Amino acid sequence: MQLTFDRGTLLLRVPAADRVTGSLTEAGWKWDHRIPGWRCDAWRYRGTIDGLAAANPDLEDLVPAWEKVIWPQDGLPQLRPEQDTALAKWTESRQGIVIMPTGTGKTEVALAAMRATCVSTLIVAPVRDLMYQWHRRIVHGLGYDAGIVGDQIYRVKPVSVTTYDSACIHMHQLGNQFALIIFDECHHLPGQVRSDAARMSAAPYRMGLTATLERSDGRHADLVQWIGPTVHELTLANVRGSTLANYEVIRIPVFLQADEQSRYDALSLKIRQFMAYRSGTSEKQSWQDVCANAGSDPQSREIMRALRMKQAIEDRAREKLRVLEDLFRLHAGTPIIVFAGSNAMAREVSRRFLIPCLLNHCGKHERLDALDGLNDGRYSAVVANQVLDEGVDIPAVKVGIVLGGTASTRQSRQRLGRILRRVGDARAALYEVVCAETREVNRSRKRRSTDAFQGTRHRRI
Amino acid sequence: MLSKEHGIAEYDFGARLIIPDRLTRHAHAHYLKYARQVIHLYANGRGKTRRELHTAVQEIFSDEPDCPVRRIAAFCKLLDENANYDTDRRGAAAALRRKVFGIAGKFHPLVEQPDNLFESSEMLVKQKISDALGMPWEQIDQRLFGDVIEFQRLREFQEPESPALLLARYNVAQLQVVLYDAIDMTIRVKNDLKLIVRQAKLTQLMHRIRPYGDGYEIHLDGPASVLRQTRRYGIAMAKFLPSLLSCRDWKMRARVQARGGNWIVDLHLTSTDGFRGQVESRDFDSSVEEQFAKNWGPEPREGWTLHREATILHRGQKTFIPDFSLRHLDGREVLFEIVGFWTPEYLTAKAATLETFTEHDILLAVADVNVARFPMFQRAPIGYKKSLSVASVLRALNETTGNKL
Repeated sequence: MQLTFDRGTLLLRVPAADRVTGSLTEAGWKWDHRIPGWRCDAWRYRGTIDGLAAANPDLEDLVPAWEKVIWPQDGLPQLRPEQDTALAKWTESRQGIVIMPTGTGKTEVALAAMRATCVSTLIVAPVRDLMYQWHRRIVHGLGYDAGIVGDQIYRVKPVSVTTYDSACIHMHQLGNQFALIIFDECHHLPGQVRSDAARMSAAPYRMGLTATLERSDGRHADLVQWIGPTVHELTLANVRGSTLANYEVIRIPVFLQADEQSRYDALSLKIRQFMAYRSGTSEKQSWQDVCANAGSDPQSREIMRALRMKQAIEDRAREKLRVLEDLFRLHAGTPIIVFAGSNAMAREVSRRFLIPCLLNHCGKHERLDALDGLNDGRYSAVVANQVLDEGVDIPAVKVGIVLGGTASTRQSRQRLGRILRRVGDARAALYEVVCAETREVNRSRKRRSTDAFQGTRHRRI
Repeated sequence: MLSKEHGIAEYDFGARLIIPDRLTRHAHAHYLKYARQVIHLYANGRGKTRRELHTAVQEIFSDEPDCPVRRIAAFCKLLDENANYDTDRRGAAAALRRKVFGIAGKFHPLVEQPDNLFESSEMLVKQKISDALGMPWEQIDQRLFGDVIEFQRLREFQEPESPALLLARYNVAQLQVVLYDAIDMTIRVKNDLKLIVRQAKLTQLMHRIRPYGDGYEIHLDGPASVLRQTRRYGIAMAKFLPSLLSCRDWKMRARVQARGGNWIVDLHLTSTDGFRGQVESRDFDSSVEEQFAKNWGPEPREGWTLHREATILHRGQKTFIPDFSLRHLDGREVLFEIVGFWTPEYLTAKAATLETFTEHDILLAVADVNVARFPMFQRAPIGYKKSLSVASVLRALNETTGNKL
């Protein structure tokens, strides 16, 4: 009897006559008449292999293609007590999710787990930057030059780093090559196809890392099945002031300039009149209807465009650049990260102040140069849109400025995480620059309604 | 291929059907005019940025009452597929940014009105950089983000053969978008079985063939499909579609996961629906096979001619199409199968198939690395390392027929 890894699934080939249902079906196996044989998702490997081997002495387990790993060096820093606890909790079962706020050293916990486990390991990160960051951290901490799967590179080694998208695409051929799989920012995992990154892996050891487990679609429950239960949770309130810098949130309302305001008002009027007219002539009047009609009705299309233009005016209000100059003056000599609401605004900031701008088109080297430059003082500020949203380490930064952005809770908490790093006794500050009397104010309100902001000081200037 | 964001489809809830957007000769005759216009735009658009071209395409469609935004975006995507943009491969823009920001870093922050505390004005610093680089600031500003996709400039455009062809490609592309969400595909074939099976094999999906009526039924899905309904294999099916469309006499049904819900709708298609197909040029599923057929050539060798996948064997529910049939001038026929460098599962499956058809005279070539792992059939297999020589096959053929006679 042979157990093999077949393109993301486990395949147990038995003579059709021995087709015992019972226990296998209960354990999630299905009879595949195409082969014929028994098949199940690869993630069930750990849960089934022992029982299977005990019941079938002749079982030939051909699944594991992973190997032992010897780390060339051990340059990991001493873990802090709360990191030590997290590691110990995870080590009890070698699977499960560790919840720690950004900036409290999740990466170090994972690296220590890798050091202790000494097996082929795959790290799955949300974006390319983080993938490269893991690569660097592994080189520095453990002296291992890890393989890379992603960013148009396919170089698999016993220890490799990848992104969620690449992991999902390639897991059907990588799934049995790693005994330990680490999902960084693991709230990214759920999603019908994307979760193949976990489902198609046979790794018996699993670690999920995140600052914010909950998803607005409620699918975080799936994570428990694929990674394991939450083994350790450290809340932001527990660490604020000790590990993290104290921080305050300062909101600065800006006003549209006269010409912007008049364009804005004209667009608003156009939209209001259209909606009023439509509701007078037919029952249809919701925004969904306008969207739906955009295909068959040039006027609806025009209104959609008006709405987008309104957003663009808010997003790129000139006054924001003026406020930005004031904040740059105020914090001269301190590294600053600016988060723009859109790529266009990020480029505008970059062109106005001639500071590096981290967008999707930037290559790996340019991004590294910008971040290193911010560290060593060559650059005083950088501007980004999405790229820096999660988990990118910039230890020295304690001033962040948000220009617009979306209302998502997770985004703001992650953004806060960027600047909450303790540097001496200095307090961190997050500025939010929003247009007054526009819809942006509502988004800001929604953004601040999360636990990340609880207990922070809110000031208006 | 388009991306999902370009997809337009309607549902027939009663019949549980999905009907992708299709431009027809009757209802959309006037689209030929648009197609001509947008092709003209791209053909004369050298040097324009991607954003300028896309805005111009939107302008062309702006007064058309029957045109969803997605359709316009889809046309832009299809046109871009025929276009080559300057991509700044050597990173000129990135290098320029590094220089500019490097110099500016010393003067941060660049202020509007200099004062005692901050004396570097935006204007002054830009002038300094311009002097240092020997380039007017306007030019620097224009090139600074030249590598952003929207700002890339059109270098060349390969005109579609006709405006009608662009519309035909749009229609096929919309079918493909629907297939991205497909969970499986069933094709009933009368005529072009071999061609379709060969193309289907290239998808690397799992396929089963069974006799159906006076033809065959091919079922395509993937390994995990038996565990759950998954869209994972939809892209492979979408890639396979153009070659299917170029075959004759078939009916296809794909089961598709309707977005946002857990219900399944069908996409129905037949060879007479009038979509324009396109055969993949790559029609061998292994390079060993391809090289061997090439080496053998079309002429008979020692009386034997080589025919690819010319014989269909079936027994019960199982169907097997050997890679080649070798036919001698005197009427003898030997089936020939090449077993490549594949996974243990492939070998086991292949051995099981051959086991089923032992009553047929099948000559085997097995990669040397796999010979030991492969069961022995009536005849010793021909071993090969990287490529299979014509001489070794001829030798085996002569032995075979010699033994028999």
